[in-house]
Amino acid sequence: MSARALRRSLGAAVSLAFMAAWAFPILWSVLNSFKTEQDILAFPPKLLFAPTLAAYRDVLFGSASILPNLWSSFVISAGTTIVTMAVAIPAAYALARLRVPGKRFAGFYILASQMLPPVGIIIPYFLILRNIGWLDTYQGIILIYLSFSLPFAIWLLVSYFEDVPLEMEEAAALDGASPLKTLWRVIMPQVQGGIAVTVVFVFLNAWNEFLFAVVLSGNTVRPVTVAMFNFVSVEQTLWAKLAAVSVLAMLPVIALGVAAQKHIVKGLTIGAVKGGGRR
Amino acid sequence: MPYLDGYVGVANYLELLGDGRFWSSLAVSLIYTATTVVLQVVIGLALALLVMEMKRGEALFRFVAILPVVLSPAVVGMVWRTFMLAPEFGVVDYLAISAGLGSRNWLGDPTLALVSVIVIHTWQWTPFAFMVLLASLTALPEDIYEAARLDRANAWARFRRITLPLLRPAIVMVVIMRTMVALTAFAAIFTVTGGGPGTATEILNLYAYRKSFTELSMGYGSALAVALLALTVAISLVLFLVRRAR
Repeated sequence: MSARALRRSLGAAVSLAFMAAWAFPILWSVLNSFKTEQDILAFPPKLLFAPTLAAYRDVLFGSASILPNLWSSFVISAGTTIVTMAVAIPAAYALARLRVPGKRFAGFYILASQMLPPVGIIIPYFLILRNIGWLDTYQGIILIYLSFSLPFAIWLLVSYFEDVPLEMEEAAALDGASPLKTLWRVIMPQVQGGIAVTVVFVFLNAWNEFLFAVVLSGNTVRPVTVAMFNFVSVEQTLWAKLAAVSVLAMLPVIALGVAAQKHIVKGLTIGAVKGGGRR
Repeated sequence: MPYLDGYVGVANYLELLGDGRFWSSLAVSLIYTATTVVLQVVIGLALALLVMEMKRGEALFRFVAILPVVLSPAVVGMVWRTFMLAPEFGVVDYLAISAGLGSRNWLGDPTLALVSVIVIHTWQWTPFAFMVLLASLTALPEDIYEAARLDRANAWARFRRITLPLLRPAIVMVVIMRTMVALTAFAAIFTVTGGGPGTATEILNLYAYRKSFTELSMGYGSALAVALLALTVAISLVLFLVRRAR
């Protein structure tokens, strides 16, 4: 084997090893979710076992069902995404195109808000929500999620709106279309890609959020990321159930991630070029 | 004026200066941030270069790389804490036993716990650096490399003289973004160690949280959070200056 071919196959082996390392914890959780408690605790770890759906049956339809928590996660994420997009699209358009007073300051403010450590703002948020009785409610959590999703979405969308050629709007204006109608009929079709990227990221961030959820949720509204803790206590870990819940919590975001793979890579790259982005 | 009730001036900040736990959490924050960011960028860049060289399989790599990035850090932390790192039942511990190192208490030993949370963060976010740098690499102009090859520049010279300078803006941006995230990381440490054992993995963020919501002294917790904010702003200022400097 020539030195070149040797180097190439060595490179391939190293990168394959890293691929395996990235996939393994996820695959292992999936495998464990189909095991019995005994099979999970077997030593050495079992690759071959009689698969069972018992863990899923327990966490979905048992006494401590995780379904309400999955529903909470979904309502929070979908609600956050819908409200965010409804406000961010016109706001980003305005920032990209119109003469808005304080436009430069707004741009800076939006970027700066992405840098705030969440733990620094969680205390005032907690106190405010407590005072208006919105702790442990959907409207409370969604309202707080807007505080990070909205600046992020506006910031991401502005670049897409700026890329739309001005001539298109001018033509629409000559035809007598109102600004809002121009936005809806002429601009929106041009920025579909950007909207898709933004929706994916806002939904993912809302689904994955943890710190705000831990502090602001309660017994009524508890997303799955927080509810997962029910299966791990000081006394004992319910291994099989925890595996099933982990997989159920991963499933929606992995499905979204795989379906929107192109959008995610694009969103990350734009972020890297322009700077910013949460998480 | 009721809103001034219990106003203590700068007392919380004075207390901060003499608080050993504050300084140790600051140190943990800096170690955690520096090591995870360096590891992410170095591994991410190396993998991106390797994958660029490969004739096929790039699509598979992109697919796998998406997986950790879209997951919730809380779920990632939980999976690592149990199925990967638990003594004897965890796969990492099994590998350690098989390698003759013996069973270790990965999250109970102060040093190992810090290493573990650093590895977990690096595991989850290196694909991010990898994807961004791979995209930037693919966008580099091919003709410069042709010219370099004609000049018989070897692979290392091409990397040092062409790839690295052209990639610099992307690398600096990745460093900035990942630093912000590492400084304010919370869920993956909270779920894995809760800051323990003792305060071995207690980053500033987690200390502020514990103070505010576990020990219920929100005033002091807020002062800690402001300290973290100041640290974040200071570090990002430095990084943005680096970005501007040529």
